Amino acid sequence: MKLGKEEIQKICLATLLVFGVIYSYFNLLLGPLSKHQEALQKSVSALGPEIATAKAQIQRTRELEQGAPLRMATTKQVTAMMTEGSPVAWFPPRLSEFFKKQGLEKSTTRLQSETVDKEMVGFRKLSWGIDLPKVGFVPFATAVASLENEEPLVEINSLQLDASREDVEMQHALLTLTNIVKQ
Amino acid sequence: MALHLNLFHEALTAKAIKRRDPLKLAMFGLVAVIASFASYYVIELVKLHSINNSLATVKDEFSKLEPQAKIAKKREEELNAQMKSGDLLVKKVESRFYWAPMLEQIMQVVPREVQVTRLAGDIAGEGLRHCSISLDGLSAGADARKVAEDLRTAIAEKFTGSYKNVSSKFRSLEDGTEMVLLDGKQVPTAMFGISVDLYVGAETAAAQPAHKKK
Repeated sequence: MKLGKEEIQKICLATLLVFGVIYSYFNLLLGPLSKHQEALQKSVSALGPEIATAKAQIQRTRELEQGAPLRMATTKQVTAMMTEGSPVAWFPPRLSEFFKKQGLEKSTTRLQSETVDKEMVGFRKLSWGIDLPKVGFVPFATAVASLENEEPLVEINSLQLDASREDVEMQHALLTLTNIVKQ
Repeated sequence: MALHLNLFHEALTAKAIKRRDPLKLAMFGLVAVIASFASYYVIELVKLHSINNSLATVKDEFSKLEPQAKIAKKREEELNAQMKSGDLLVKKVESRFYWAPMLEQIMQVVPREVQVTRLAGDIAGEGLRHCSISLDGLSAGADARKVAEDLRTAIAEKFTGSYKNVSSKFRSLEDGTEMVLLDGKQVPTAMFGISVDLYVGAETAAAQPAHKKK
């Protein structure tokens, strides 16, 4: 079959039209659509792990909350031993009373410093200086033993005993102790 | 044989030419291609819509979960801090240094020939704690220096059973200028100063490398 000039022109035109349609379809319609699809898919994929992380976080906290009372039981017992109120108001009289019970009539308790441990949230350490001007060694040692047994939140950091020149049986005792209290 | 004359040959030729028209054929092909492209596009659109829906669902879920997760994280941090400080508090209470047993041991080792004029003790550190004790006094006897030396070794021996790395050293030991009456006899004296160093508690993980370097 021999194609005429007019037919060849028509074929050329049709071919151009086909290429135009294909180009427009892929570049103007399907291309942006695919890009948009990919972007959405990426967003969905990106949110997946975030949702999983959030769920895991919630679950972890729930488990922690469930296990916390058991783990905090000892802490609660220790915290329950802490007296409320300003320690300067209650601690010196308490110690004075304690030493009187031990037969050591004269004692002076003074607050030396206050420190906040960053790791111990909600608590602070108070350092006290205790002056016992006239004590016998054995009553003093007994009082120290009783203090260490009765006051678990108190720790003696340093002690000093100086023999008295006037009375060889008596010593001058100085104690430095720390007490943990609520913040 | 009958003779057939095709009187419509021109009309038939025109019809055949029209049927074989390349533009028409190309148009048919193009329409078919466009139809298939359109169907594919519709399918892709539906897919996009479904992805859009799932994104909306996921976003909705995330927007609900995100504040909850933030609150949970904050709560977790709070609980962890509380538990950490609680554990530390309990640990501090449990790892206290007790002076009374030490005073008792000192009382047991000081002989009647010795008068302790000054006793000072200090505890420092966390984990493996260092305790330093200073004893000053007066020893009396025919060999007052030996009495002081016996006290020094007795302290070291006594403390070794209860504490770690015990060391007992003389800070000073001098003959005294005074004579004292002991068991009805005048005996010479010696003035001594003993330093005792010892460790208590367990070595913490942080303290271990520092100790190893030594």
